[in-house]
Amino acid sequence: MLALDLLANGLIYGCFYALMAVGLAMIFGVLKVVNFAHGEFFMIGAYTYVLVSLKLGVSPWLALPGAAFAGALLGWLVERLLMRPLYASYASWGFMKDEYAVVVTFGLSLLLINLVDKIVGPYSFRGPPLVDIGRFAVGPVLLTGQKAIAAAVAVALMVALALFIKRSVWGLQIQAVAQNRLGASLAGIDATRTTSLIFAVSGMLAALSGALLAPLVNPSPDIGAFPAVKSYVIVVLGGMGSIWGAMIAALILGVSEAFFSVYVSYDYRDAFGLVILVAVLLLRPQGLLGEKGREV
Amino acid sequence: MKIRAHWLAALSVAALASLPARAADPILIGVSLTQSPPGSVVQGTQVKDGMEIVKDLVNAKGGVLGRPIKLVYEDNQGIPEKGRAATEKLITSDKVVALAGGHQSSVCLAEIEVAHRYKVPYVNTNCWSDEVRKRGYPEVFNTSPYNTLVSSTMSTTLAAMGVKRVVAFAENTDFGIGQAKLTGEMLKQKAPQIEYKFETLDRSSKDFTAALLPLRANPPDVIVLSMLPPAAYLVMNQVYEQGLAPSPKTILYDGSSLADYPDFWQNVKEAGKYMLSFALYHPQMKQPPLANEVAAEYKKRTGNDINRLVLQAADSLELVIQGLRVANSTEPDKLINAMRTMKFDSLRGVSGFSTEPGYGYQQWLEIPFVNYELTAEKQPIGQTVMIQAPGQKFDPTKIIRPTK
Repeated sequence: MLALDLLANGLIYGCFYALMAVGLAMIFGVLKVVNFAHGEFFMIGAYTYVLVSLKLGVSPWLALPGAAFAGALLGWLVERLLMRPLYASYASWGFMKDEYAVVVTFGLSLLLINLVDKIVGPYSFRGPPLVDIGRFAVGPVLLTGQKAIAAAVAVALMVALALFIKRSVWGLQIQAVAQNRLGASLAGIDATRTTSLIFAVSGMLAALSGALLAPLVNPSPDIGAFPAVKSYVIVVLGGMGSIWGAMIAALILGVSEAFFSVYVSYDYRDAFGLVILVAVLLLRPQGLLGEKGREV
Repeated sequence: MKIRAHWLAALSVAALASLPARAADPILIGVSLTQSPPGSVVQGTQVKDGMEIVKDLVNAKGGVLGRPIKLVYEDNQGIPEKGRAATEKLITSDKVVALAGGHQSSVCLAEIEVAHRYKVPYVNTNCWSDEVRKRGYPEVFNTSPYNTLVSSTMSTTLAAMGVKRVVAFAENTDFGIGQAKLTGEMLKQKAPQIEYKFETLDRSSKDFTAALLPLRANPPDVIVLSMLPPAAYLVMNQVYEQGLAPSPKTILYDGSSLADYPDFWQNVKEAGKYMLSFALYHPQMKQPPLANEVAAEYKKRTGNDINRLVLQAADSLELVIQGLRVANSTEPDKLINAMRTMKFDSLRGVSGFSTEPGYGYQQWLEIPFVNYELTAEKQPIGQTVMIQAPGQKFDPTKIIRPTK
């Protein structure tokens, strides 16, 4: 019974982790840089959801797209204003200013945390649930309405993202730019616009993840640290830049963390992800679905 | 001529620097607190609020020794190394006469080393770890609650409740682990029949379900929380979600006055109902006029009701101010001596400092406390059910449990 409980809980959190991490994987896949402000996209989504629904009295179901819009807008602005100098005027990746990306996204992360702290305040807010259903049992597993609906929305979003990437023209363009930016440009794809799109989608997914989790994690200005660390582990575990790898790795991490904390030690629950990370880097450096390397 | 002019200028500067502080020069008091994450900005904000109010009240009445008080703030982010650097800067660069406002035990433990090295008075506002006192530094004065007081009270309470099994969740800090360990040791003496264990939880974590699930098969009689917000709120919510507490069998017992925090009910909602709380403030406690004045001003400035942390912060600055008056000097050694020997008219009662080595060293030992139970959602503290009134015995028959 305990094992079933752990499995269910691990899978639910795995879905949330996946939603957080996929955006990070997409950005890495295309720009080959790590967005250190990814956790703050999550935080902005959580705050937008909470403040719009609590302070403006808007239905949580309407606050959810509001959070998605805020995340997408932030992602688009970050790409347009901060990230574009990274690749603009460089034809080859060999000249990319990687250190610039680290500094600018890390700085952005600190700026956003402190802005929210000063403007909204340091107190945490529990977001309103999407459905007014308290706890209920599914066999031996106890769930709450919010947890169940948030996990269902997260799964629906992952399926929608998978279809978008596989089937839509924009999704194919994203794949092309991720494989070879120069080649995609030669084939007539606007790589700059595609990069903007990736940042907007990445911001939207992280913000939605924050909004869905807002009733469960009580957002405060530094809430972004938790999803960010998990996302970095997942992206490396799944294979840097691999969207499908990130999804699988998120589920693996969610379930294995749940079992590890009960059967080994709760104290080292969060360290467990890092242990997996080290093991993967030693045994399979390219991650679960990553490529060993590509020369074009 | 040029050389002589330089000499004259240098001599003038030296002469000016050697003059005693002018009457209008402010007395500088250093405050190192958490104003930005990852530390507890919630605590830092309340500490600052309490100290600002006292400073303004004192300055409005002419200040101390004919000089206004000025608070010099440094943000330590709740990080011990930053606290150490902030304290060093406040003492050596800003030349503060004393430090107050310390909160978060791990930061205090780093800061008192610096205060001790420079022999500058340091008032601990809210660092509960006994270790802060056990180091025996004569510069460190503790108006803060301390873990031995809380653990001793909680173990007495648990013994009086006649429970059989207790599980404690402690955050992974000096405060949390210290309190949980101490409660276990005291239970061994007071009620050895109680089966007690504690689990350490990472305060930065967001999902504690895995730590709670094993309890569902055999829930304990009491779940003790030695945790601070926001992690404490998450644990409470997840304990409720898992159906562990509140229940007819299991009660939640908070060891850090959680209901005092202005964001408590917003974050816990129904999970806070039926929680038993060890608390350091209740409107039924006797309040001197200054405490009422601070409470009214706090309400005016923030819209919130007064709570124990704001009073503790006000108290720690008030201690320095009374010390300055008694010493009639800003010299550190005279100030330390005055603070040690004077009778301190605290905002929470008259007090003095123990000189016994150990957890009680330079600690105000008789800090008033209560135990109350929250019996309705969004219940103001004044309407809670008093299980142990100030100075009275704990009465377990008053505890109300949910029917299902």
